[in-house]
Amino acid sequence: MQSFRHFLPTLVLATALLLAWQIYCTLAQVSPLVLPAPTQVLRALFIERARIGPHALSTIWVATLGFSTSVTFAFAASVALHFSPWLQRGLMPLLVASQTIPLVALAPLMILWFGFGLLPKVLLVILVTFFPILVSLLSGYGQVPQAYLDLLSSMRAGKMAIFRRATLPMARASFFAGLRISATYAIVATIFAEYAGSRQGLGIYILTAKNSFRADLVLAAVVVSAVLTLLLLAVIRLTEKLTSKGPAGGKRHAAH
Amino acid sequence: MLHIEGLSISIENRKLVSDFSCALSENEVTCLIGPSGCGKTSVLKWLAGILSPTLGATGALTLDDTGITPPHASTTYQPQSDALFPWLTIAQNAALGLEVAGIPTKTARADVLMHFKTFGLAGCENLYPEQISGGMRQRAAFLRTLVQNSRFILLDEPFSALDAVTRLRMQAWLCDQLAHTPRGVLMVTHDLHEATQIADRILVMPAAGGPLAANISVTTPRHARTETAMAQIRTTLKSLLLES
Repeated sequence: MQSFRHFLPTLVLATALLLAWQIYCTLAQVSPLVLPAPTQVLRALFIERARIGPHALSTIWVATLGFSTSVTFAFAASVALHFSPWLQRGLMPLLVASQTIPLVALAPLMILWFGFGLLPKVLLVILVTFFPILVSLLSGYGQVPQAYLDLLSSMRAGKMAIFRRATLPMARASFFAGLRISATYAIVATIFAEYAGSRQGLGIYILTAKNSFRADLVLAAVVVSAVLTLLLLAVIRLTEKLTSKGPAGGKRHAAH
Repeated sequence: MLHIEGLSISIENRKLVSDFSCALSENEVTCLIGPSGCGKTSVLKWLAGILSPTLGATGALTLDDTGITPPHASTTYQPQSDALFPWLTIAQNAALGLEVAGIPTKTARADVLMHFKTFGLAGCENLYPEQISGGMRQRAAFLRTLVQNSRFILLDEPFSALDAVTRLRMQAWLCDQLAHTPRGVLMVTHDLHEATQIADRILVMPAAGGPLAANISVTTPRHARTETAMAQIRTTLKSLLLES
């Protein structure tokens, strides 16, 4: 009930938007080749479900693989940068610069260098999602109160022990925030990589649909991509809840 | 005995503390008071081995005539805030010092759990810090400090975050605890009343951060420390703090 109430404003607004779209299409008699009505998109999605399915699965696979590799790399890099200020000063400007490379330029190059297989797509997803996770981890590491550090140092805890006992748990919230930002990019980046050249995936499906002037199929694929992103976000939210330590995860007790 | 000899702390070329010396006896509560900015917290942090690296310090620390370098196992430091980790339960927080010292988690927890009742924390073992009151949090912080069983404990204004009534209760409670398990205590405070209620010895630091302005032994038994009995010493301390 609570979650329903939470999502109610979104549902109301989305319904209103779709309704307006539908009414506009009906009244203005827009050609479905240009702007199909929501019902037409849904019908296309239903008819084409058997063909979109495998493409969607392929996209999920690439996005998940790329995203989880990216999280692993970002974590390893964050630890290295945390313990080596020299490396952090040296690498951060380069990493920032890497974020300014236009995907449009990079995606075809990746295909050129690594072919149509999994690798170029995974690399592209990593390139897009790595940085937000890394930055959120590093900013989380910086949020440890001095008193916690003092306490552990006075207990003669080593650098690693301080990292494990205070720095890492402290960065948790910030890490998940970065993860959510990255997750929204992951599916989009995968689709873009597929669009640039691929045998399977929503990206290539969109390209084929566009080339045969099927706006309804393009939009059907967009719906699928949006659903996938929301699913990924839900999985992250669930992981965060399940692994949460502290009273926020469980019931609150009043003990005053 | 823990001796501090000729401690000087400076930031860039400005002296915060110069030529500070004092001795802490076992089983005696020493309060270090002084006007704000006199460097009393810096002295405590130096003893705890957590002085900021931007501050330079020279001085000798000897424990029973042997030179030691802080942080040392003979001292336990308790920060001004309770510094309980919000992601650990009270029992896990209390066992932190033991675990960091390398005692296996199970043994450490069992050791800590024995004391929950005497610390007035029974039933809080599996609660998180934000679920208990300020006074209880402070007691949990004291439990974390005292279970480490070091000979000396270093307290940085431990009651400053508490409301007036809780503070009075906690002062009396700490005196009771120390009567049970005596330790050498060095407590930094700016509260004259608190110092005269708790201390066996009061060290007064001058505003300029030089050698001690006064070293006063408080011999009145704790139960006899009424407002009238302590009036004399409080007046002395007040004038010392105001003139320096």
